[in-house]
Amino acid sequence: MNTTLKMEHISKQYGEGTTHVSVIRNVSLEVKAGEFIALVGPSGSGKSTFLSMAGALLTPSSGTLVIAGEDVSQASAQRLTALRRKHIGFVFQSAHLLPYLTVRDQLVLVTQFEKSNNREVQTRADRLLQRLGLQHRMYHFPEQLSGGERQRVAIARAWMNDPELLLADEPTASLDAVRGREVVQMIADEVKLRDKAAIMVTHDHRVLDLCDSVLYMEDGTLKKEQLSS
Amino acid sequence: MFLAWKEMKHAKARFILIGFIMVLLAYLVLFVSGLANGLQADNVSSIQHMKATSFVVAQNSDQRLQSSQLTEKQWHELQRTKDVTPLGLRMTSVKQQGSQKKIDSTLMAIDPEQFLAPTIEEGQAVTHLRPNEVVGDYSLKEHGFMLGDVLVETMTGKTMTLVGFTKNELFSHAPVLHMTTQGWHRLFGAKVSWNAGALRTAVHLPSIKGVEQASKEEIVQSVPGYKEEQGSLTMMIVFLFVISAFVLSVFFYVLTLQKMSHFGVLKAMGATTRYLARSILYQVLLLTSFSVAIGVGLTLLTGALLPSTMPFHVTPTLLLSCCGLLITVAILGSLLSLNTVRKVDAIEAIGRAN
Repeated sequence: MNTTLKMEHISKQYGEGTTHVSVIRNVSLEVKAGEFIALVGPSGSGKSTFLSMAGALLTPSSGTLVIAGEDVSQASAQRLTALRRKHIGFVFQSAHLLPYLTVRDQLVLVTQFEKSNNREVQTRADRLLQRLGLQHRMYHFPEQLSGGERQRVAIARAWMNDPELLLADEPTASLDAVRGREVVQMIADEVKLRDKAAIMVTHDHRVLDLCDSVLYMEDGTLKKEQLSS
Repeated sequence: MFLAWKEMKHAKARFILIGFIMVLLAYLVLFVSGLANGLQADNVSSIQHMKATSFVVAQNSDQRLQSSQLTEKQWHELQRTKDVTPLGLRMTSVKQQGSQKKIDSTLMAIDPEQFLAPTIEEGQAVTHLRPNEVVGDYSLKEHGFMLGDVLVETMTGKTMTLVGFTKNELFSHAPVLHMTTQGWHRLFGAKVSWNAGALRTAVHLPSIKGVEQASKEEIVQSVPGYKEEQGSLTMMIVFLFVISAFVLSVFFYVLTLQKMSHFGVLKAMGATTRYLARSILYQVLLLTSFSVAIGVGLTLLTGALLPSTMPFHVTPTLLLSCCGLLITVAILGSLLSLNTVRKVDAIEAIGRAN
């Protein structure tokens, strides 16, 4: 199996002197293709910062960060943007869809940041929407969708650029138990089907059984939790 | 531009509202510019149309044609210079024979064989002008004057026949009546001398006591009321542009602020600042060009509907430069927004509920 994400002794600090804060302390982790990992932990434990680094939004203060085979430990903002565009898919808390785009256009948009083949893009978008059961919603705007549907669109959008790594930031936060489980199931299915890697930050313990492993973060350090089942 | 266009299509009402205000701004700018241009034409078009480059006027006349009076001796000396032609100018009023209604006009005496002769639009050629004949500006038609009418000069009571019409020959908001130098003598006596001598080429003048040379532009600027009139209108136009800049900046800025969270998400998804900036600029350009085009249409329509006595005059150059300036102002106004977009951090998309 290929390693999609590799973190070696990663730390992240903010500020200097008296304002010095250590958010992530010496974290090492490897995520392989086909793996779906859940990250749990109390608020303020550094989950968001961890996710930001895994998603090439931030570079670590020290340590080595390799995403999709590329060492980005000290990459420039521009290189990080390009890397996100090519290799990373995000599913944000409360979907974060653009209100003025139809479901289909939400997906097409992802490919607009670079020159792309329009015909091919549209078939890809249609296929994804079909797989996530959204084909009847294709020309609807986000305001016309239910919370669960919105989150499903967000997942479809995240897979649109065919990323190696999918990152989900509390995707079930605004959903009820049934919808939440559905959404996480969809991520898990896609991960297996496409042999991709995924990390999900969550507070929702009812969906942890859908993940391959669960990591527990506290005070900037990672611990592995064994699933009871 | 995918994003820009889709957004405008979705938020039609919002963009139409902003577009509407931009149309009004463009219309106001163009209208006032047209008015300034029209007033300028009303005041000095006769001088501006002269093929002269400079004028010789009496010293201490503040370069004002009306107050300048060359003495016979000065004129005699001046005539030794080649290419100088006389100009007589007097504000007066005339009336149609048999009518009581007087209208203000500017009498100008010129040599019909020389370069100050006006272009005739209708009627008799200016070279065949007899001493008791005049040609006048088209605006006289608005006052009911027709070719062949006999006019009475109210100061002297002498009559003359209107034999031709000229176009855009106004001075000091009054139509100009051109007559020959002989006609001038016929009205005001043989001894009367000229207000100025006009020159077409840059020549070195022999030093003559009591005269000075003034460029056409200086003469125009010295027409009473001209500077004040144009100054206040120019100030209005400048302020309109400044106001437009601020109003548009604020509009675009508020639009951008509303979309800050979107920009964060887009950046997290891999959109470059350049892509987002292009998208905003595209919207601004589209909105501005469209609004300005409607503004131009409204201005032209207004121009066509206004009575021709109204001093309103637009030229393609005026329209184009105003439109160019408005678009530039709009782009400047969007710079604030572009900078805001540049500063949006993709991290803001993570760990936030909204």
